[in-house]
Amino acid sequence: MSATIALLGQPNSGKSTVFNALTGLKQHVGNWPGKTVEKKEGSFVRDGKEYAVADLPGSYSLTANSDEEVITCEYIASGKADVVCILADSSQLERSLYMMADYAGIKVPSFLVLNMADVAADQGKKIDTKVLEEKLGIPVISLSATDNKKYDAFFEAMNRAISNKSMINIAGLEAELQKVDAYAKIRALLPEEGVKSYSPTWLGVKAIENDKLVMEQLKSVLSVAEEKQVEEIRCTSKGALDTGNSKFAWIDELLDGALSEQKEKIGVSKLDKIYLSPFWGKPAVVLTILLGLIGSFIPALPLMGVGSAIDMLKAPVGSALASAGVSDVLIALICNVVIQSFSYIFKMLGFVFGVLLVFGLLEEVGVMARISYVFDNTMAKLGLQGKSVMPFLISFGCTMGGAAGTRVIDNYGQKVLTIALAWAVPCGAAWAVIPMLSSLFFGPGAVAVVVAILLTMIVHMWITAKIFGRKLVKKEDRYGMIMELPPYHKPKWGALFRYVLGRTKDTFFRVSKVVLLVCVLFWALSYSFTPGVDPILCKIGKVIEPVTKIFGLNWQLFMAFVASSVGKEGALGVISALFTDGSVYGAFNDAMSGAATAENLNDILLANVSKPQALAFIFAITFNMPCVVALASTYQEIASAKWTAKIALYYTLGALVLAMIAYHIGLLIW
Amino acid sequence: MDDLLRLLKDGHARTIPMLAKELHTSTADVSRKIEYLVNMGLIRKVDFGPKKCGSCGGGCSSENGQKTCKSCMPEGGFQNMGQMWEVVG
Repeated sequence: MSATIALLGQPNSGKSTVFNALTGLKQHVGNWPGKTVEKKEGSFVRDGKEYAVADLPGSYSLTANSDEEVITCEYIASGKADVVCILADSSQLERSLYMMADYAGIKVPSFLVLNMADVAADQGKKIDTKVLEEKLGIPVISLSATDNKKYDAFFEAMNRAISNKSMINIAGLEAELQKVDAYAKIRALLPEEGVKSYSPTWLGVKAIENDKLVMEQLKSVLSVAEEKQVEEIRCTSKGALDTGNSKFAWIDELLDGALSEQKEKIGVSKLDKIYLSPFWGKPAVVLTILLGLIGSFIPALPLMGVGSAIDMLKAPVGSALASAGVSDVLIALICNVVIQSFSYIFKMLGFVFGVLLVFGLLEEVGVMARISYVFDNTMAKLGLQGKSVMPFLISFGCTMGGAAGTRVIDNYGQKVLTIALAWAVPCGAAWAVIPMLSSLFFGPGAVAVVVAILLTMIVHMWITAKIFGRKLVKKEDRYGMIMELPPYHKPKWGALFRYVLGRTKDTFFRVSKVVLLVCVLFWALSYSFTPGVDPILCKIGKVIEPVTKIFGLNWQLFMAFVASSVGKEGALGVISALFTDGSVYGAFNDAMSGAATAENLNDILLANVSKPQALAFIFAITFNMPCVVALASTYQEIASAKWTAKIALYYTLGALVLAMIAYHIGLLIW
Repeated sequence: MDDLLRLLKDGHARTIPMLAKELHTSTADVSRKIEYLVNMGLIRKVDFGPKKCGSCGGGCSSENGQKTCKSCMPEGGFQNMGQMWEVVG
C-alpha cells in the first residue's frame, strides 16, 4: 500500500460520493470496533500504486461530543492516515470550512477539496483556490464529486500533500485565538511539541472547549498544579463561544480575496412585507384566519348536507317505528338521540374537514409559519406559541373548530392549554343568544353587556392560563426565538388530502362515542318514563334550587344552563318550554335540535326573569362548556379523559362563579 | 456569537434576515453561527416531527421505525413551518 487517505468532512459534504468514486467496488463496510458507527474502507490503484481509503464518520467538528467525533479524532491521532482529505461544500464555504478550521493544528498532512463546485458556480460564486492555497499552505482544489472523469486535480493535490507533507498554516488562527485571554494563558502552559499528532494550538482550543479526550491526554504532560490551573482558566472563559468566534474570524480572513459573490441583499417578498410588518402584520394575519374560517365552510358543505339529510330521517323513521308497534321510549331514543346525534356529528365533521383542509393548506403554502411568527410574542405572555392565535379566532365561530385547529401545535402541554383557553372564547352559538337576551333585558345597555363579556373573556383567558399553565407548560417549553421562515410554495395536495381524510374519519369514530354517550345519559335523566312524574333532572333541579339561586339561577334557568352544555342554541328552547309548563323532555329535544322557542318568548322571559337573573344567565351560558361536540372534539385532540374532564369541570364551575358575580353586581344596579 | 445568544435570550421571535440586520452581518453568517451553537449544545432545534398525535398518543413516529397513523402529520408534507431554534436552559 503506497499511502492511506482519510476522508474528513461534515455530513453532506460529499465524502461518500468521493469515496465511491475513488474505490468503485473495492470497498468493504463494517462497524468501528465497539461502536455502532459505520466503517467504510476501500482501495484504488493510480499510476500503478495502490492507495487505501478510509471514509471517516461524518461529524460537525472534532470535539469529542459524539461517537463519530471520538472515532474520527482517534483515527487521525493514531497515525494510520498518511494524508487527510478535508472536504467542504463550495456553495456555503463560510460554514463548511469550519471542519477545516477545527482540524487546523493537527500534525497530519492534508489537502482541501472544495466539493460541489458546480452548485457554487450556479450561485454565481467564484472561488480562487490559489489564494486559499497560498493562505493555508496546503493543496486546495475545486471539485464536483459526482463527475467521475474530473478527478485528475484530486490525485495531483493528494500526491502533492503526501510528498510535501503539507500542513495547514495556522498562524492566522493562532493570531485570532491569542485575542482570547483564556486561550493565551492555557496555550502558555502547554508543551511546544504538543501531544502525539496534536499541536499546542489544537490542544489549547480543545481544552477551552472542555473536550474530555483532550483533558485526559493533557494529564500525561501537565503537572497536577498546571492541570488545576488549566481548569481554573477554562472556567473563566466563554468556552466554545470564544473559540468559535476565533475560528469563524479566521475563516472570514481566509475567504477575503478568495471568494467573490454577489453582495447579499437582505430583502423580503411583497407578501412578507405585509405579514412581517410591525404595523400591518397582525391585522393581515387576523384577516387571513377569518377568510380561512369563512373559506372552510365551502368544503364543509357536503358533510353538513349529509347531517341535514340524516336529521330529515327522524319523522319517517318515527312514523315507521310507531306503525310497527315500537314503544314510545324506544322511538324517542332512536329518533331524538341516535338519529339526532348522528345528524349533529356529520354537521360537525363537515366543519372539521373544512377547517383541517383550509388550515392545513395555509401550513403547506407557508402562511402558518408567518402566523406563528407574528403572534409569537403576544402568545408567549400566555405561555403559548404564535400558532395558538388561530384556534382562538376560529373559536369565535365554533369551539369545536378551534379545538380541531390545535392540531398544528406540536407541544402537547401548549396544545391542551390552547384548547382550555379557546373554550373561553364565546362561539357563534353564544353570539346568537347574547345579543338577543341582552337587548331584550337591557335595551341600549346591551352594548355594555357585550363589552363586559369580551373583557371577561380576556381576564378569563389570563386566569385560566395561570391556573392550567403551571402544570401544562414548563418554562423550557417556550421556544420559537429564531425562525427561518419557509419560502411560499405550492401545496402537496395528495399528502394534504390523505391527512385531512384520515383525520376526519378518525374524528368520526372517536366523537361518535362521546356524543352518543353524553346524549343518551342526558336523555335518560330528562325523560319522563312514567306519565305525570317529573323526570330525574327536573327533580334534581327543584331540590338544588336553593343552591342555584346563589348563582342567580332559579331551577328553570339552571336547567337551561345544563342544557347549554349540550348546545347553546337550545338554551332558549329549554327556558321557553319550562316557563310555559312544557316538559323537561321537550326542553332537551329543543336543546338538541337547536331550535324551537315559544313565539312569545320575550314576554315569558320578561315576566319570569329579573334583570340580575338575566345577567347571571347570560354570563353562565356564555362561559359554560361550549357544547357536547366541543367536548368530544377536545377529547379527540388531546386524547386525555382526565384533562378533558378537568377543563369541562373548570368551565362549568367557572361559569357559575361568573354568574354569581354578575348576579350580585346586577342586584347592586337594579 | 455573544450578541446572537443575547438576542435569542430576550424572548422575542426573529427571523434569520432580521437577526442578520440587527447584527450587521449576512444571513450566511447567522446561519453558520446557529449551526455552531446547536452543535455546541447552547441552542436546540425545535422538532416538528410527526408525533403526539391524539389518536395514537404519540406511539407512532417515523423516528422509532413505526408507521405514522393517518392522523399524524404526513411524512414529507404538511410540515412547512420552517425551522425554529430555542435557547437551551
